Amino acid sequence: MFLSIPFLIFLPLVISLLVMSPLFTRNEIVIRRFVKGVCVFHFLYAILMLACFDPANPYVSEIHFFGLDWIQSLGVKFVFKIDAVSMILTVLTSFVFLLASIASKLNIRKNHKFYYSMLLLLMSAILGIFTSGDMFLFFLFWELEMIPAYFLIAFGDNENAKASAVKFVLFTFLGSMVMLLGILLLHYYNYTSNGILSASFTDIIDSSIPAGIQNLIAVCLIVGFAVKLPIVPLHTWLPDAHTNAPTPVSMILAGILLKTGAYGIFRFNYQTMPDSFTTIAPVLAIFALINIIYTAFIAYAQTDIKRIVAYSSISNMGLILLGLCAFNKLALCASVFHMVAHALVTCGLFMIAGIVYLRCRTRDINSIGGIASVMPRLFGFGVLIVLASIGIPMFAPFVSEILTMLGALNSELSETIKFAAIFALPLLIISSSYMLKFLHSSFYGELKPEFEKVNDISVHEFLILAAVSAGLIIFGIFPDALLSLAGGM
Amino acid sequence: MLNDIFNILLPQMALGGFIILQLVLSMVLSPRYFRYARLISATGLVLSIVLLSTVQTEPQYFAFKNSIMSDSYTLLFDFIILVCGFFTALLSRNLIKSVKRNAYTFHAILLSAIFGAMNIVSANDFITLFVSIELLSFSTYFLIASSKGYASKEASFKYLLTSAIATGVFLFGVSYLYGITGSLNLSEIYEITATQETSVMYSVSAVLISLGLAAKLAVFPFANWIIDVYKGTETSVLAFLSTIPKLAMFGILCRLLVFPLGSSFELTFVLVILSLITALWANTYAIREKNVKVIFACSASANASYVLLTASLVSVYNLSTVIFYLICYVLMNISVFAFLNIYGDQNPMNINSFQGLFHKNHTLVGAYAFSVIALAGIPITSGFVAKIYLFTAIVNSGLIFVPFLLALLILTVVALYYYLKVLLPLFGEYDKNTEVKLLTPVFSQKFVLILTALATLILGLYPERLIELCRFIAYNI
Repeated sequence: MFLSIPFLIFLPLVISLLVMSPLFTRNEIVIRRFVKGVCVFHFLYAILMLACFDPANPYVSEIHFFGLDWIQSLGVKFVFKIDAVSMILTVLTSFVFLLASIASKLNIRKNHKFYYSMLLLLMSAILGIFTSGDMFLFFLFWELEMIPAYFLIAFGDNENAKASAVKFVLFTFLGSMVMLLGILLLHYYNYTSNGILSASFTDIIDSSIPAGIQNLIAVCLIVGFAVKLPIVPLHTWLPDAHTNAPTPVSMILAGILLKTGAYGIFRFNYQTMPDSFTTIAPVLAIFALINIIYTAFIAYAQTDIKRIVAYSSISNMGLILLGLCAFNKLALCASVFHMVAHALVTCGLFMIAGIVYLRCRTRDINSIGGIASVMPRLFGFGVLIVLASIGIPMFAPFVSEILTMLGALNSELSETIKFAAIFALPLLIISSSYMLKFLHSSFYGELKPEFEKVNDISVHEFLILAAVSAGLIIFGIFPDALLSLAGGM
Repeated sequence: MLNDIFNILLPQMALGGFIILQLVLSMVLSPRYFRYARLISATGLVLSIVLLSTVQTEPQYFAFKNSIMSDSYTLLFDFIILVCGFFTALLSRNLIKSVKRNAYTFHAILLSAIFGAMNIVSANDFITLFVSIELLSFSTYFLIASSKGYASKEASFKYLLTSAIATGVFLFGVSYLYGITGSLNLSEIYEITATQETSVMYSVSAVLISLGLAAKLAVFPFANWIIDVYKGTETSVLAFLSTIPKLAMFGILCRLLVFPLGSSFELTFVLVILSLITALWANTYAIREKNVKVIFACSASANASYVLLTASLVSVYNLSTVIFYLICYVLMNISVFAFLNIYGDQNPMNINSFQGLFHKNHTLVGAYAFSVIALAGIPITSGFVAKIYLFTAIVNSGLIFVPFLLALLILTVVALYYYLKVLLPLFGEYDKNTEVKLLTPVFSQKFVLILTALATLILGLYPERLIELCRFIAYNI
């Protein structure tokens, strides 16, 4: 078959090594165009795979090393599997990295070789997370993603960038170590209860594991994913990392990296260990509610554009978590849909923040103002994306937010989830208030004299914002394409 | 007797011959010819590795009235010890250049240390074991003290004091064991303890013997020496100190735990608690530390404690993970010290002195960074596979050990923090006015660094063959 998963995953890795090697040119323009070309090719390839995708027959591919599995003694295989959710997220990853590689032109000024190499390495690691069919392989990519993410965050020109990158790595590593404990326990108890020495998701039969152990494993895994998602007490790395990273990296972090946490909960807890997930889902729903409301209030108090967007991301991830907790097909589809919708929105918003910062050298909404008159095109896109983000009909987030709420209200697990859904409804009001505040104080009002000479958006920026807006409108008007694919599992 | 030598002792004998050769050359050759010392040592070690193929291992072979034995387990440890010794000999170039007069003596002592380490693993008798440990220890004092300057003498003296106390503790334990069983032979002690009811004194002696051996691994009551000793020791000697004594001590300790001492619950309890304390101490000590050598000293102590914890939960599966971890670990460690050797001991070892070196030489610094990442246990390195494999052993030992495992995992996060402290300055901006003066690396240094880093990568991607080998050896012990 001409469509190969290893090619899809390892192409960025190979290109990354190529870009890094001393033989490759140091010319910035060549590197940038080359990487952009690779990203375009990768996106087209992913689209082709999506077009040929049949939900009933997921793509599966297994790699052997000289006829052996990766760690055969532990039953660990190098196996990749793309089902519907993986397919959607793979295409999304490819798309966001394409946007990020375009956005890198204006934001990255030094060490281009290293930057683009790390960007592609991160892409490979994230694609690996979304497609791996084995717990240890998942964990491998999960850890691998940390290194390029560290370097990319540290690329920010802010003096706090390095410190926030270290904070990101330590938080993630702490989470992943607790998660490793969960994986090791699951692997061991699956072996002792069922006699299957394997770490593939499909080989795990959770019902025969004792209930107490199951819950222990589930909590360990959730802690690991809660750092990435993030769930509230573990969220403090996120605003710093997103604010101090360069714009394209912020787009990747909020657009894709957070989704790896949600994907992990889906793949491990929701799909592989449903018994224990139904036990802890009501508790998790409370956490989701706290995420949604608490961070929305914090977002309202922020004045830095990137921080507003960062906190709104946490809030939206709470909504995705609530959808997963509802444990029915409608809410799951809505969650996956919201992952896509939120990735588009957040890419657009971070792009706007980056554009404003490039022109005005500040992101404080109180010190900019009235820039609508000098940047009319940016203003147009800004209004469109902000309206989309607060859930106006005809845009993608509207569909996903409403469906998530509906799914949660229809949940048969527990009354708690329904209550959580009801109390989460004010999100729509709070999110409109902070988003409109951002729109209002940065674009309307009196134009400051120092900003009179700023230019409107360039072709690159136009392209990114247009792509994001197109996505939001298309999925807002025809949500069924995505929903039916997500529901086809 | 001659038969015994031909059956299992040829590698040691070859090494002994080269020790004598080096000693003779140190008397007859003028210091001008110092550079051949490395070559002669390397030849001896390679010859010894080749002669390992003559060693009889199937079935277990006992020689010299049961005082020395050989099986596939000792063969594997001998092989790793010799390979580590080979790398150390190659790295010693800077050291012998600075002390030309003692070049041949240094190498004679290095070879005798390796000789001692090999004998420790194959000892089947407490007398042989004691003599071999002393041979290794005395050689190590001289190796540490052999570089110029006051610091190395201080380090050597501290090591001597700690080792002397540890030896006392070890002998004390052995004397109890002799009092209980009336024998010093490991096989006989095993037969007696396996059939008879054991007393409290037996557990006390087991704990004392293990503590005496674990002192060389820098485990808790004897952990403090490692900071000062590492600070004052030359990097090529560190490549030796952080690998060979560790391999030898774990080699014999694991065998003792599996056979004569393993049935004691108190021993397991004490060792688990001590290794947890060591892990806690070593990882937290390194947080505030700025000297790279000290950070790697703490990392050595912490890694030893992870391995000791797993080894003390005795089972053959755990033994296989321990062997695999040790092999991966010594390769990473040699790689790290090979880079520090290239960097040069005359330069300051502060983490900030390494600022921006990545932009000076991508390949060498990249290999070093890769090895540090491997020590932190991050994927596509052998460190990742080794850690996961080691931790599966703790999970397999029972649910009661899960809190300990959680503690270790959280300490790994602390460890990542100090590895990042070592790693990050490398990628910063290069300061042109730096006081660091880099020498041009010679081929042998680059060879060791690149080879060990490559081995770390290959074992990370393709660990299965080595794991199978470790399992085979552990299940046939």
